[in-house]
Amino acid sequence: MEDSITMVRKTPESTTTLEPVASAVVPERPAGLAGLKDAIARKDPDFFRLLHGQTREARACEEVLLLSSLRKRAAQKGLVPTQQQSIRIAIVGGYTLFPLNELIGHFLSAASFPVSYQAEFLLGDYDNYMSEIIDESSRFYEFKPEVIIFLPSHRRCQYSGQLLDPREKQEAEGKQTASQILELCRIANSRTGAEIILANFPLPGCFDPGPYRTRTLGSDWSFRKLVNLELGLNAPSFVHICDAEFLSARRGTLASCDPRGWFESKQPYAPDMLVDVARECAYLVASLRLGPKKVAVLDLDNTLWGGVVGDDGLDGIEIGDTSPRGEAFKAFQQYLLSLTHRGILLAVCSKNDRDKAVEPFEKHPEMVLRMKDIVCFKANWQPKSENIRQIATELNLGLDSLVFIDDNPAEIEIVRQFVPEVETVLLSADPSEYAGALQDSRYFEPKNLTAEDLERVGQYKQETQRQELLASVTDMDAYLESLGMEAVIREFCPVDVPRISQLINKSNQFNLTTRRRTEAQVQAILADPAYFGFTVRLSDRFGDHGLISIVIGRVDGDEVEVDTWLMSCRVLKRQVEEEVLNELVRLALQRNCSRIKGVYLPTAKNGMVRNHYEGLGFSPILTSADRLEFELNSQLYRAKPTRIRIAEKSYDTK
Amino acid sequence: MTRSEVIAQLQPIFDDLFMEQVVLTPELTANDVEEWDSLLQISISLAVEKHFGVRFRVGEVEATKNVGEFADLIARRVAGN
Repeated sequence: MEDSITMVRKTPESTTTLEPVASAVVPERPAGLAGLKDAIARKDPDFFRLLHGQTREARACEEVLLLSSLRKRAAQKGLVPTQQQSIRIAIVGGYTLFPLNELIGHFLSAASFPVSYQAEFLLGDYDNYMSEIIDESSRFYEFKPEVIIFLPSHRRCQYSGQLLDPREKQEAEGKQTASQILELCRIANSRTGAEIILANFPLPGCFDPGPYRTRTLGSDWSFRKLVNLELGLNAPSFVHICDAEFLSARRGTLASCDPRGWFESKQPYAPDMLVDVARECAYLVASLRLGPKKVAVLDLDNTLWGGVVGDDGLDGIEIGDTSPRGEAFKAFQQYLLSLTHRGILLAVCSKNDRDKAVEPFEKHPEMVLRMKDIVCFKANWQPKSENIRQIATELNLGLDSLVFIDDNPAEIEIVRQFVPEVETVLLSADPSEYAGALQDSRYFEPKNLTAEDLERVGQYKQETQRQELLASVTDMDAYLESLGMEAVIREFCPVDVPRISQLINKSNQFNLTTRRRTEAQVQAILADPAYFGFTVRLSDRFGDHGLISIVIGRVDGDEVEVDTWLMSCRVLKRQVEEEVLNELVRLALQRNCSRIKGVYLPTAKNGMVRNHYEGLGFSPILTSADRLEFELNSQLYRAKPTRIRIAEKSYDTK
Repeated sequence: MTRSEVIAQLQPIFDDLFMEQVVLTPELTANDVEEWDSLLQISISLAVEKHFGVRFRVGEVEATKNVGEFADLIARRVAGN
């Protein structure tokens, strides 16, 4: 939107809206490393936001190492990130694992602002991973890792025979190599429950053995490709591949290896490639706990089309196949549309008169995006930071679910400063690079794409229609009745595990205990008789909400403790809570439990459920700063009437 | 390039990498500086290779005993031998 600032300044009223904001909010600060050193010296808590920004942009190994030592220096000075979480990570492999651990530790600490993971590492010995994993009494198991990062040695990924051996023999050895590695992963997982990050093998960059390399599986080139494919295609759900083959191809195979590092200190990769792998490992670890982003908040002028619609008019903007630039903007819109197909929501946040901003979406024949694709449309002259807060509120999502995308550095900076929870993507001056920039930001990568993700866009649209109905009906009870809601309550079952784990890891607001669990941990609950767990799916006459609530109970003598109770905010005030409690009491009585204990663990985000248990008739039994406990007598409880028809209950023997 | 010319160019590189000011002298070794650990050593080698446009051969940085010898090595590589 660089041009549009100049354009906007022509009109006096818009000059007053933009300029003071931009100049007042960006304080004078030294840039880059000097800025970080300055922030440490001043003990400025903004250090962590600046560190996050520079860590995202750093590419060279020495830059990241320097940022890492500045982070440690800040800690020595008493600067502490606001949201710290600890995590225990064991790294094993066929290499020297220092300084890889330093780099991973840095990315975990600085790459997911405002959350900062403080990793405690156990480093395996050089090339000792076989015995470390197989020997049950090794220090590796004593450490009780939550995550294991495993870099098997490329020297054990070589065909042992001749280039001209029969293809079947070579293929069998490749498959066996992969299955041995996966078997080690299984052993490690079964003994620790840890999620496993498994690095595959970069392809060699040198010419040997010449063009013949692709005509045999016996060359390192083909053999490693085969093993990598076998690893990825056969990896169980607790194994997450760190795709070193892809990372080295992206960087260049020759640039990715440095034989000096191997001979000097058994380093697996060239230093900058080590950064790529560390960044990827940290990304994979963080995405075990953090959900993906949900909303792309888009600028309009020079972001979705070329030019400024307010000045150039509907006919003057560049969009569509009539010019290379217009074609590039159109391709970017097509990419954004494809994001909606995997469940990402699009919102607009633009400094424009609303009727002018809406016009291209309604009237321009070359536009790909239409009003129906935009779940929230803010075009006005308020600061974008304010509009972004409103978008989050209206969509009932946390600010950290949003990513703001703009071509104007000043707007990006304002959002970074005033809504630091929102990640930003600054587009370049060239629209042909927009889609790639968004892809490489990695904010919208699906972790484990579920069918329900794909339906989510439809669900939000339905929610809007429902809100309209609510506005027209004053009697709440009649409104709920008119929705024709139906719920299916079902005990945890293996097929639901990915969706259950996904919801457990991304629900923040309606979440009483915010206990995160991986798929492996959910599987463990399924197998443990002390636990029960059920899910609730809700549908109504506007559509299917999918799986919207999860409860885990732990039976302890004659008491059930509610370990987890969470719900999607989309179905607030729909009496789902009441039906969940009805079910909880029923299951407690089935297990001869006379008491239900509810626990509330406060976080920055779950204030909305602070009074949840009392609202449902529980009595407080413990009140402290970091924990509230409540109790309900299940024998005296009377099922609460609701407007939801229960089609199926959990643990029901049919 | 002479040893002292190389050291003069090394000084700002060290200033960037170290939090505390380190005054480079030919006799200085990593042991003399608390901050100078194995991690910083990696950063120094990478930054020096980039700045001088040279590539050290396997094992030779490790073999230098102090800043003076390191500077001599850089001078040799810059000169192309």
